[in-house]
Amino acid sequence: MIKEGHFGFYEAFSLMTIVLITKIFFASPMVIIKTLGTAAWLGTLVSCATSIVFFFILYSLMKRFPQQDLYQIFESVTGKMVGKSLIIIFGIFLLYSAAVNLREFITVLKIYSMPFTPPGVLIFAFLLVVTALAYVGLEGIARTAFVFFYPVIGSLFLIIILSIPSYDFDYLKPYFGYGLMHTLFIGTLRSSAYDEIVFLAVIIRSIHGLKLFKKAGFSSLLLTGIVFSTCLACIVAAFQYTVGSEHVSGMYQLTRIIYFSRFFQRIEAIFLFIWVITSIITVSFTFYLALSSYCRAFEINNHRPLLLPFSILTFVLALYPSTLAEIIEVHIMILREFSSVILMLIPVMVFILAVVRGKKGVMRNANTN
Amino acid sequence: MKKQQGVLQQALALITYKKTKRPKTFTLAEMTKGQDQGVPMSSSGDSSNKQGLSNNQEEDKEQQQSENRKGNQYESQDESQNESHNKEQDKPSLGTPRRRRAKKPLSASQVRSNRTEGDKVRADIVSNLQLIKQLFGVPQNKDLIIREFEIGNKKRAFVAYLDGMADKQIINNYILRPLFNMERSDPQEEKRPGQLTGVSLGSVIETNDTKNLDSIEKVAAEILKGNTALYVDGLPYFITCETIGFDKRGVESPKTEGIVKGPQEAFSENLRTNISLLRRIIRNSSLITEFFEVGEKTSTTIAVIYLKDVVNPALVKEVSRRLTNIKTDFLVSAGMLEELIEDTPFTIIPTILSTERPDRAASHLVEGRVVIFVDGTPFSMIVPVTMNELMHSPEDASLKWQYTSGLRLIRFFAFLAGSMLPGIYIALTTFHREMIPTDLLIAIAKAKENVPFPTLVEILLMELGFELIREAGIRIPGIIGNTLGIIGALILGDAAVTANIVSPILIIIVAVTGLSNFAIPNYSLAFGVRLLRFYYILAGTLLGFYGIALALIGFVLMLVNLKSFGIPFFSIIAPKNKKSKDVIFRWPLWLQESRPDFLNPLDRQRQPEIAREWAQQDADEA
Amino acid sequence: MPIPIRKLIAIGIVLCFFLPLGGCYDATEIDEEVYALVIGVDKGVNNMVRITFQYATYKDGGGGKAGGGGSDGGGSEESGEVDGTIVSTVEASSLLGAINLLDAAVNRQISLMHAKMLVFSEEYAREGIARYVEPLARFREVREFMRVVVCKGKAEDFIMENKTFIGTNSAKNIELMFEQSKNSGYFPDVFFNDFYIALLAPYGQSCAIYAGVNDFQHFPQDTGGKNPPLNTKQDMEPGDIPRKGGTKNELFGTVVFDGDKMVGSLTPDETRFFLMGIGEFRRGFFVLEDPEKPGFIFVIEAELSKSPKMKGNMEGGRPVLDLELTLDADIVSIQSRNSYENLDHIKGLEKIIEDYFTTGLTKTIERTQQEWNSDIFHFGKKIAGEFQTIQEFEQYNWLSHYKEAKISTQVNVNLRRSGYIYEAKPIRGTSEGGQGST
Repeated sequence: MIKEGHFGFYEAFSLMTIVLITKIFFASPMVIIKTLGTAAWLGTLVSCATSIVFFFILYSLMKRFPQQDLYQIFESVTGKMVGKSLIIIFGIFLLYSAAVNLREFITVLKIYSMPFTPPGVLIFAFLLVVTALAYVGLEGIARTAFVFFYPVIGSLFLIIILSIPSYDFDYLKPYFGYGLMHTLFIGTLRSSAYDEIVFLAVIIRSIHGLKLFKKAGFSSLLLTGIVFSTCLACIVAAFQYTVGSEHVSGMYQLTRIIYFSRFFQRIEAIFLFIWVITSIITVSFTFYLALSSYCRAFEINNHRPLLLPFSILTFVLALYPSTLAEIIEVHIMILREFSSVILMLIPVMVFILAVVRGKKGVMRNANTN
Repeated sequence: MKKQQGVLQQALALITYKKTKRPKTFTLAEMTKGQDQGVPMSSSGDSSNKQGLSNNQEEDKEQQQSENRKGNQYESQDESQNESHNKEQDKPSLGTPRRRRAKKPLSASQVRSNRTEGDKVRADIVSNLQLIKQLFGVPQNKDLIIREFEIGNKKRAFVAYLDGMADKQIINNYILRPLFNMERSDPQEEKRPGQLTGVSLGSVIETNDTKNLDSIEKVAAEILKGNTALYVDGLPYFITCETIGFDKRGVESPKTEGIVKGPQEAFSENLRTNISLLRRIIRNSSLITEFFEVGEKTSTTIAVIYLKDVVNPALVKEVSRRLTNIKTDFLVSAGMLEELIEDTPFTIIPTILSTERPDRAASHLVEGRVVIFVDGTPFSMIVPVTMNELMHSPEDASLKWQYTSGLRLIRFFAFLAGSMLPGIYIALTTFHREMIPTDLLIAIAKAKENVPFPTLVEILLMELGFELIREAGIRIPGIIGNTLGIIGALILGDAAVTANIVSPILIIIVAVTGLSNFAIPNYSLAFGVRLLRFYYILAGTLLGFYGIALALIGFVLMLVNLKSFGIPFFSIIAPKNKKSKDVIFRWPLWLQESRPDFLNPLDRQRQPEIAREWAQQDADEA
Repeated sequence: MPIPIRKLIAIGIVLCFFLPLGGCYDATEIDEEVYALVIGVDKGVNNMVRITFQYATYKDGGGGKAGGGGSDGGGSEESGEVDGTIVSTVEASSLLGAINLLDAAVNRQISLMHAKMLVFSEEYAREGIARYVEPLARFREVREFMRVVVCKGKAEDFIMENKTFIGTNSAKNIELMFEQSKNSGYFPDVFFNDFYIALLAPYGQSCAIYAGVNDFQHFPQDTGGKNPPLNTKQDMEPGDIPRKGGTKNELFGTVVFDGDKMVGSLTPDETRFFLMGIGEFRRGFFVLEDPEKPGFIFVIEAELSKSPKMKGNMEGGRPVLDLELTLDADIVSIQSRNSYENLDHIKGLEKIIEDYFTTGLTKTIERTQQEWNSDIFHFGKKIAGEFQTIQEFEQYNWLSHYKEAKISTQVNVNLRRSGYIYEAKPIRGTSEGGQGST
């Protein structure tokens, strides 16, 4: 078991919020606006509500097994073999998620800012920092996330405030987008966008207890929901649903239209910092968790020697998709729409199993504790 | 076991690196006033921790007692101190470092301390004289003065002292003269030969502090400090008299931390003077001074000062653990010691605050920190510190809080500009040209039209020039130095522009960067920022804002993982703890009710909720 | 601690090895590029389009030369040198193709990062511009803040006349030129971003700035004698303003698009009402004829005190819209020196002004409805609320139903202040009745 250090509510909250929020900067708004039109902001609220329900189930599961993290629960509910393979499935998914997130970021970066630099170089530089963060471990990642939390949220806020002259909220009409039922359905489906909250259950032993787990989980979900909804509403208000569904990165475009006078314009490169910071924290968090899952599965007590092979693996995985279309239509689709099959379904199944198997699991735990 | 494993398992073990271990770190634990002990020395290591705990408790109590003793007689650094530390050294209590040390061959100091046991003072003058001479290599060494004479009933005696270190006036007037006078005024001594005792001698010698030492090593140590050793034939010990009196500098005004408002005195090279400067500010009996000696060849005295009822005992323990476990031959300055005791020697940001201002050191003492002095250095070291303290100026407390808060914003800006401005400029002009206003862009392009170099070379040239001026300014004597610095910068910049070597806007960038650097209040931090600048230049050159953002994350990662004597260096922001009212925005003094949370002091309250009681009163009634 | 140091050195060596990989692929020095300030699109002769770029030169002391360069047209015509900038035109198949073609001649890469103005010739705009707008929306260098201008005549000629007479700074000159929209309201300030969004919008249509080159031929020779008639209307087209001196370029009026094709233009006066309708009118002087003394005028300076209120709903399948404006106005001149500003007269005056604005606004809207059926006011965003889903709204196709809409307008005017003077006194002289009060 690797030592992961401890941190408090604020660190956990900011870490989870940043991890959840990162996708708003990339192709996600485009996909949502494409499918939901003017009701995108509503759809993401539906997703948020769904994932809050899911988080409640997760919380009940964690409450059944106090002082255990999700991986331990897997093992104690499903047995060692199945539990370990679940952990490995999680680990593989985490690595995949890190790679896809990384690639998505690099692609958007290449489109908007650095068209000529080969992706390999960009990914290498990125992974260098990710590896450093993972080397330090979860505590370091959480603290870095906390340091950058206010700048990130502040800048998001600033983008939204500064673009106010471009908004016309009449463009949110017709309110139901492509139909209310469609919105609700897609909204529920896309709750995968929020399912990184599961990872909070994996690192539960680093935060102090269930109470903080609940508080951090709910508040970061809520904040993310609000931020997503606001951002989507603002993108639609500024670009209408037509142009909004064209832009690869809606938020970046939003910064590009900030114009106050001939002195105060063209400030989008500043926000590049926020892009990079959130992506780094997200990728290093998932990357570290992938490492840690591997260590858990094979009971290794130090993750550091694994850094090099894992970063090479991530590098290769990240370079695997060849076109933007492939990234957006295959990988991001998998990550944002179907990831709940792994991240949500497995814990829910485990929960049901724990309930079906009855109190035995709980009793056994109660005795050991 | 290994042989029984299958190939698969072996391969698995190979991939999974099962054998590796993580290093241990020291984390400052929380302490309350009731329980001054039980300090875990490391955050990790479950089982060893528990073992260490019980040992620590015992040791802690003992130390606490000895500290009390020392507190009462801080003036005399007597043998009990040395003894207590010897004892501590021998204890096999503290985790891994001890074990590692035990495996190594004995160090020179241990050899010496082993010999000490045999080097008892003999009871006859000839062999003692021989011992002393041998120890100091007397025929060759011209510094040791040995004055032989006879007192009273023709008893042979000698005094030994180091020329230049001891005050000859004291030796002549208050040691030798009383001894010779004793002979004349006390004829009855003749009738009682052999009755001469230390007690009677002690009452004859007129110096303020005498000690009876029976170990020749300790006598030598006293002599080395500038004291005078007296031996009278037949005694089983030396009598050492305090005669320290070498030339020293007086108390002057601060050289590097000059301020407008506030006290204008600074530490000097003399340890005693420095401590007295502190004591003059903090008149409190719980102010403790402990002494350590570091340096195989120099035996430099190091003083550790703290407020007993405020400081976290674990901190004092950690400081003394580090100080007692330094093995080096030469130590003359606080800077050298800093390098030997800091947590992370590889970081470019200092984790120890050094100040030459007694008021500043005192304010940190009261907050629950430890002050370390090295004899011969006019700087005190303060541990532990956070980023926050490095960005504060000693003047902050003397100015009104509104002014201070504004000044701190400027310093914060200076920190950012001093480290990132050239990097950002490069990134802007080579990667993000769309951000520059068109007018300015065309102006820059016009100015650059005849400059043959790329922006990077321009920046490096100018930075090099600037660094040269700075470095040369220190060497160039006195008044010329300052003038030359300014003139040099102006002329160099102007000439470089005229000669089309750099573009004019770059001069502004470099100048603002340089100015920002000087606005950083801490000298070491300013050096760190000077280096950081090149780090960001590199990042900005390679990958523009993307590179700078990556570099920034790397830097922040380093900051949040730094520790200064067990407390996170960046703890003012991460990890999150109780809000301090003296970070960037300085709240009014009467609102700063508690000591810094991260220091885990014994006494958290600085002042009651209502500090300005008079404001609650009715002026007429009172 | 030998191990960490060795490790650090090893890491350092590995990093140094990778260092050239980061070799500044995207780095370009500022002076390695020229920055196109203006892009012009004309119809080509042998190929699809003629693209004109105006970009700044990096010559020293541009100030002195520029003044001279501006006045002698002939010599610099050949090299395309215009006041510290160069104007190059190339015939190519597309905009981006033109950049690469120009690389053959211009010895630095042309960058569109700082393009401030996009000029289409009217001829070209009437045929549809969608094909050449597309790369502008997609290509990373193009700014959203380019202004979209349609000019009478050739774009090339218009750009050739884009000279700096006041300062030497061409970029500033262009930016400030468009800022004048705020002072007069005679032309809209259309950003490329808004233009592009409106092209795709189901809520309304797009518009652009109308411009032209004035050859100073409309400035009639002084014939003397006759009393000139009073004309308070501005219904000229750009290029027709009777003036001389200064720059020949004029921004005057609004171009109305239907889809990507130009269908007509609003006169400057109509443009003011249009800007009021969409809430972008800042301020401007309005010259009205004195109600009591024909031939005399009074002038008000008006600004929108609230953003316009637009309401819309469907009544029996027919869209019904309401537009309500509230204006604040100051009296800045009353030639007759009558005391219109006092309480007795002010309501009457307000009524006159309200009528003026209401008529103007209604007529402008009617013109867009009847003449072009092009909803540049974006009334559609209010109608959209009547539909629940995008499918229904798109099926209804608001843009084609615009002309059926019943649009009522209302303008409220508050005359707030009257300048330095309150109740002016008559001018006295030996002969009564000249300018005296009635």
